[in-house]
Amino acid sequence: MPAKRALIMHPHDNVATAVEEIRAGDDVAVPVAGTALTLRATEAIPFGFKLALQDIPQGEIIRKYGETIGRASVAIAKGALVHIHNLEGTRARGDLARRNEP
Amino acid sequence: MSFLGYVRSDGSVGTRNYVLVIPQGIIAKSVCDFVAGTRTILTVDHGSGRTANDREQIARLLIGLGRNPNVASVIVHAASPGVGYPELRAERLADEIAAGGKRVELLDPAKDGGTYGAIVRGIQLARQMVWDASRLRRETVGDAHLSVGVKCGYSDTTSGIAGNPAVGYLYDKIVAAGGTALFGETTEIIGAEPALARRAASPEVAEGLLRAVMVQEERANATGLDIRTVNPVPSNIKGGISSLEEKSLGAIHKAGTAPIQGVLKYAERPTRKGLFFVDNWMGHLSIFAGYAAAGANVVLFQLGGGGVAGRTLLEGSPSVVAPFLWATANPKTYAAAADSIDFYSGTVIEGSETPEEAGERLYRTVTDVASGTLSRSETLYYVEPIDMYLQEPRF
Repeated sequence: MPAKRALIMHPHDNVATAVEEIRAGDDVAVPVAGTALTLRATEAIPFGFKLALQDIPQGEIIRKYGETIGRASVAIAKGALVHIHNLEGTRARGDLARRNEP
Repeated sequence: MSFLGYVRSDGSVGTRNYVLVIPQGIIAKSVCDFVAGTRTILTVDHGSGRTANDREQIARLLIGLGRNPNVASVIVHAASPGVGYPELRAERLADEIAAGGKRVELLDPAKDGGTYGAIVRGIQLARQMVWDASRLRRETVGDAHLSVGVKCGYSDTTSGIAGNPAVGYLYDKIVAAGGTALFGETTEIIGAEPALARRAASPEVAEGLLRAVMVQEERANATGLDIRTVNPVPSNIKGGISSLEEKSLGAIHKAGTAPIQGVLKYAERPTRKGLFFVDNWMGHLSIFAGYAAAGANVVLFQLGGGGVAGRTLLEGSPSVVAPFLWATANPKTYAAAADSIDFYSGTVIEGSETPEEAGERLYRTVTDVASGTLSRSETLYYVEPIDMYLQEPRF
């Protein structure tokens, strides 16, 4: 079966965006500078959702478009779905400001 | 690199040719119901009980709509509840619109025989003004006369990958041709403001951008809430967007790559051409009327799809005198509502078009509509009310 497609927006990104419905165990090909990075999805990645291109430790910055989109709220394994359950934004966080946390 | 437009006496160029009747109310609505080729606004806010800053913002919106190049001539009536305030006096609105060189008529129930008399006189005036306007012919003009405003909404990850990049191409093309391009939504640039500030045409503009974001982020923090309970909105999260920063970084692609010439207030007219950031709110009932008041002669809603499942008909957002276009890159959204959507760029995701090819097609779609082709939402009578962007408390 041909690999499913996911896209990165910038070479420094550590997540890619699925542009097909990806099921657990599917091989995923991510075009990078004329070649393709391949990895295996460890769980379902719906169309438009993100998967981790590498193991991302808890607290590590998550990058898309070459910029920070948040940090890992728990450790994320390569090939896993990255969404609100394991990525947290850090901007306009009134809850953190009130608790005086960075 | 041209379109067919209505050349006005001040040199600006319209893509439509309306007679505008303002502010809202029974006189304006009755005149417009009776006379073809007219436009009015619908809003619940008249300025009554509003602060001076907010009243000035309302005045800026009304005057700006009157001065929009898509308006041939204007009727202002003096029967609005806010009219007693100095900012909203009918004579003041009329004078500032007329300063742009177009015909403005005043209706005053106190002098025109009450409300009934003002309506009758308004109908007679509007019929003549519409007929006069219809004698003007479209001429071929350069793209420097295009002024476009955009918002992205129901954003999902197709917005950042394929929807907004096509708009960004259009924006670069219009700016390169000497035209005007407006983007905004201050909350939705939080996290992307360093990238935007690097594109500011001057240190003052960069400072203005960063200040606008700082004020908005402080306002958000003061609530004590986690912004994620507000924005990204549920439809964004359902569409795969995980944080406000991710939404912002996708959103700014619609602004292309040109230098940012300035930071404008809601409904403020730019004093020169180029790309401008507008310090406004994302609400679709608010933002497009503001762009039209800033002089936009075409507006564009870049649509994701996270929250529009089952919506097979998309009505336009209120933009009063500026033709309104729907664009999407989400194949499911497009399949569901194809007859409402003016432009589709999911082709970029499917691999059948590059973002540049899609952007070129969007440019042709926009110049077609600018030249007189109806946008899909212009085929409907239905118009939503305007939610003017006012920030101060009411008393």
